[in-house]
Amino acid sequence: MWGTEWPRFEVIKQDTQHSPPQMVGSVHAADPEHALLVARHVFVRRPAAYALFVAPAEAFFHVSQEGLKDLAPRREGGPEEAYWVFAKRSHRRSMVYGDLVGRFLAQGPEDAIAQALLQAQGVAFWAVPERLVVGTEPTEEVVESWFAPAKDKRYRLQSYYGLITAKGVEDA
Amino acid sequence: MLDPYLKEALVARLTAWADDEVVLAQRLSEWVGHAPILEEDIAIANLAQDELGHAKVWLELRQELDGSDPDHLVFFRDPLEYQNAVLVELPKGDWAFTMVRQYLFDAYENLWLKEAAQSAYPPLAEAAGRILKEEKFHLRHSSLWLERLGQGTEESHRRAQEALDTLFPYVRQLFQLLPTDEALVEAGILPDLRALEAPYLEEVEARLERVGLRPPQGGYVPKSRQEHTEYLWSLLAEMQSVARWDPEAKAW
Amino acid sequence: MVKLRIGYPEDPDYGERLAEFEARIARGEKIEPGDWMPAEYRRQLIRMISQHAHSEWVGMLPEGAWIPRAPSLRRKLILLAKVQDEAGHGQYLYHAAETLGITREEMVAALLSGKAKYSNIFNYPTLTWADVGIIGWLVDGMAIKNQTMLAQCSYGPYSRAMVRICAEETFHHKQGKEAVLLYAKGSRKQRQMVQDALNRWWWPTLMMAGPHDTDSPHTPLLLRWGIKTKTNDQVRQEFLNEHVPELLEAGLRIPDPHLRYDEKTGNWIHGPIPWDEFWKVINGEGPMNRQRLLARRRAHEEGRWVREALEAYAQRQLAQAAD
Repeated sequence: MWGTEWPRFEVIKQDTQHSPPQMVGSVHAADPEHALLVARHVFVRRPAAYALFVAPAEAFFHVSQEGLKDLAPRREGGPEEAYWVFAKRSHRRSMVYGDLVGRFLAQGPEDAIAQALLQAQGVAFWAVPERLVVGTEPTEEVVESWFAPAKDKRYRLQSYYGLITAKGVEDA
Repeated sequence: MLDPYLKEALVARLTAWADDEVVLAQRLSEWVGHAPILEEDIAIANLAQDELGHAKVWLELRQELDGSDPDHLVFFRDPLEYQNAVLVELPKGDWAFTMVRQYLFDAYENLWLKEAAQSAYPPLAEAAGRILKEEKFHLRHSSLWLERLGQGTEESHRRAQEALDTLFPYVRQLFQLLPTDEALVEAGILPDLRALEAPYLEEVEARLERVGLRPPQGGYVPKSRQEHTEYLWSLLAEMQSVARWDPEAKAW
Repeated sequence: MVKLRIGYPEDPDYGERLAEFEARIARGEKIEPGDWMPAEYRRQLIRMISQHAHSEWVGMLPEGAWIPRAPSLRRKLILLAKVQDEAGHGQYLYHAAETLGITREEMVAALLSGKAKYSNIFNYPTLTWADVGIIGWLVDGMAIKNQTMLAQCSYGPYSRAMVRICAEETFHHKQGKEAVLLYAKGSRKQRQMVQDALNRWWWPTLMMAGPHDTDSPHTPLLLRWGIKTKTNDQVRQEFLNEHVPELLEAGLRIPDPHLRYDEKTGNWIHGPIPWDEFWKVINGEGPMNRQRLLARRRAHEEGRWVREALEAYAQRQLAQAAD
């Protein structure tokens, strides 16, 4: 039973071609295609974005710093598949959940995170099978029609208003 | 520089486009705070802003031609002066009505904007190209809804079909020329909208059929953009109520 | 999915775990979903975050009513974007609460049944266009003080939602201030309208920060666990010190005959707040409580067939993919 709010999809946003995809929040949507569209509406109201990805929230394996010591990656010579692993690297103030550490061929999410730990430390980790990740195409047309228009909506930015004082209004 | 007749014709055309966008944005904005789910509330507020932004683009192009003030045109023109198509002024109805209308309008915008991006009047070509990018995303969104409503439940299918039955005849009005349009078409400034009607119907009818909806036959088609329904007066009365409330106000 | 580790006072290792937990907070570490946390910490967070999310969602209504009437293209775009942001902020906050193992269905159901609370301020009506300006400048001004404080919250997901919200919310404050200052120097009717709006919103805005510290039983625990980092009275004081001089400079009258500046502390001191009214409104007897809930219920009911349609479509796609 899905309840009244549809399932939840984690949203991953990549701000520029050269920045890491980041977990920014989630959307409730009926299916992956719908999730990707509403993710654009919810998370790209303001610039900037280069790509968006969604994956079912229930497919994410999550472990925090305290759970890392109990992490028991199994390596039994079974089949491998690709996982995306994200890490929150420190306790510093931030608006994103985790940055993509990389893509790892692994026998399970624990194994993928164990591999990621060789590259990155962090206070929390997430892993999701790549086959469940759906994203925008990295074409100029998509970037131009999905993401570029947010740049023209300048009234959403505080910088648009400048310094506002009673004196300024009188002088105008 | 445009000759005076073409200039006047372009002013009329830009105003008609702007009126479509203003009135549609007004209908969309009535959903804000009341959509079926939080994410779609955010989405529909984007659609309303985008359409209103497009109105602003058209009115600013007009301003360059005749110095008119966009806000004055929007907030101080009477219903009989509005040149919007009837399609966009009909009350918002249910979510199916709103999404089917959005699909029909988005498909039309995608088609004519692509042509207008080749306009011989460079500011129009530039603006059309820019707006087209955003409209491509709109069409993705409304096509997605069309498909899901058409193929969702019996109830959603029934509601989408009823909406289509009401709305479909009105799309034909979008392809009519204003009395002054002919000269713009000849000058290569405006695409010949009449020639876009057949490709539009072909594309839209094919998609409707794919999602299990039936384009209705017949129905009343308004004969010019002078025609409206009784819904326009109250839409504009509310929209203009604050601006007209205080004639002494110099700025808002 | 995350496995939560929740500690109860009857657990044998509760004391030891609690000491570690509090030491982490004292070191400025964030608590992440999956880290050990006292059940009461989770309960307080769910209560606060969901109330906060409901406030954003219900908060769309009083201002949203004015989107169709905004008096210029620019103001209409701004208000659309602002009310939309409130939906977005509700959306981020529901997500933050969901990391604690509660679903949005459960939270929405609590709101629609009238069980859950949301900010009192949204139970007042918006009577004129100037209310939109006053809400932006003052109501959002108070909200920002609170949100800036909550961005320091010890719970990672709540803090992250707040950082994102603060980044967006500043524009809400600025657009409101811009409008109010313009109308305060505008035509006779504009001046009257904006003063009237200030008169009506002043006290509800001060009450937004919550009861005085002496009447706020949760506060010591919330401070101890870093859920809040300032008390209600501290937040209210920061709001006053920023906004009073600017309102006065704009030539507006603040409807508090006892309002005074205290040279010694540099604080603006307000007169007695009408708390009786606050408690009445919070208990359902405010001017718009029933309308707000009705509007939310109506949208939920009218949207039901839409949500069912998409669900049916998605289930069919899944079934076809499985074939």
